[in-house]
Amino acid sequence: MDERFTALLTRFLPARGDRELTHDTPLRDLGLDSMQSIELLFAIEDEFGVSLPDDDLTDTTFATAGNLWRAVSAATETQVGAA
Amino acid sequence: MTTTAPNFAEPADAVAAVVAEHAGQTDADAAFPVRALDEMRATGLLGLLVPAEHGGLGGSVADVLAVSTRLGREDMSAAMIFAMHCQQVAAVVRHAGDRLRGELLPAIAQGKLYLASVTTEAGKGGHLLTARAELRDDDGELVVDRFAPIVTGGAHADGFLVTMLGPNATSPNQVSLVYAAREQLEVTASGEWQPLGMRASHSGALRLRGRVPGHQVVGEHGGFHDIVTRTFGPLAHLGWSACWLGTASGALSRVLGVLRDPSARGSLDLGSELLLTRLARVRRRLAVVHALLWRTEAVVAGADDLSRPRVRLLLNELKTTAAEECHAAVDELVEAVGLRHGYLRGSPTGLERALRDLRSAALNYSNDRLYLADGRLALLDPEVRFA
Repeated sequence: MDERFTALLTRFLPARGDRELTHDTPLRDLGLDSMQSIELLFAIEDEFGVSLPDDDLTDTTFATAGNLWRAVSAATETQVGAA
Repeated sequence: MTTTAPNFAEPADAVAAVVAEHAGQTDADAAFPVRALDEMRATGLLGLLVPAEHGGLGGSVADVLAVSTRLGREDMSAAMIFAMHCQQVAAVVRHAGDRLRGELLPAIAQGKLYLASVTTEAGKGGHLLTARAELRDDDGELVVDRFAPIVTGGAHADGFLVTMLGPNATSPNQVSLVYAAREQLEVTASGEWQPLGMRASHSGALRLRGRVPGHQVVGEHGGFHDIVTRTFGPLAHLGWSACWLGTASGALSRVLGVLRDPSARGSLDLGSELLLTRLARVRRRLAVVHALLWRTEAVVAGADDLSRPRVRLLLNELKTTAAEECHAAVDELVEAVGLRHGYLRGSPTGLERALRDLRSAALNYSNDRLYLADGRLALLDPEVRFA
């Protein structure tokens, strides 16, 4: 996970406290709800210039920081490759 | 695709007959349909979703919908009581650990365990996925202390599935689902149940206090979100919609019965274009709900991930559509037949009760809330794809 991603993600985790973000960090437990998931998604799209396909917008994708990072990375690769 | 369940038509008819016999009285008294529940116990229908190896009928979600629609034709309260019990059973079947399944499923199959759902809570604005009261872990036992403003059948349930904030939760999203038997709890009913409709659902307020063993958590602590996505949400929207479709279909059927009654031949103008147009519009509303119900059932049965935006949208759209169209259909029937058969309690059309009952449909997990969710989900699918 790059720093840009974790910094952005942190803004959407009101219950994070001082816990470190790892791949396995459960996002819902840190306060990410469905409305914030959508705002987070838009923020990711603005920051990384990619859009996540709706097939990827599942509970699993938003379950952990690592899962979300993998989806963002995959989208970056395919969409940058296609550009 | 079928909408009848030949295997279970017989017990469903048996329960429906008892429901029909008592529905007028339970509505008038705002009393729980105890006789109908007894028949659900005796026929095995309470265990419709319990797998055969635990002694149940081994039915499917489609079977639950068919039976719910059948019961809904006679009385929406009794149908909702059945559908919501099946929703609880599905959660136990799919998400409880082996020990809890072994304790509960045979009892459900034997008709000894009617389950009520305790998900409402004061001060959380109807949000299903958050909780305020926290479950306390006391040396392996779970301490339940919870007030719920609306618990359908709470005074008659043998056990409860209760949502509470999980032990040591760090955010209000970490909700646990826990089973508690009535005898494990001190159950205090409060307030009076005098609603406009759904009067026989007897959904009064309850205070639950007690201690249960740790293995009575259903799914993982804090994991209720997953149960809602995979089981509770789909079963709720499918089950409720099936009940509402049944109630509106029963209403249309009884109106048609009155219109075609040979003894009334000549006194009613069946050539009235206004009447015919209204009947057509009512029938069309029900056809849309029917098609959407069974399409959604098929999508849910075949989907590998129910959390995809377009699947969530479909499930919510089923609920909002069924709630509005079924109510509108019965309202239009009232217009079609007028004061005597549309507005009076004693009419054989039963429109007066059906209309009052169906008024709750848009409020029961509020359509307003679902439209907000659907608006957000629509933003996630700019291509506009359908499940």
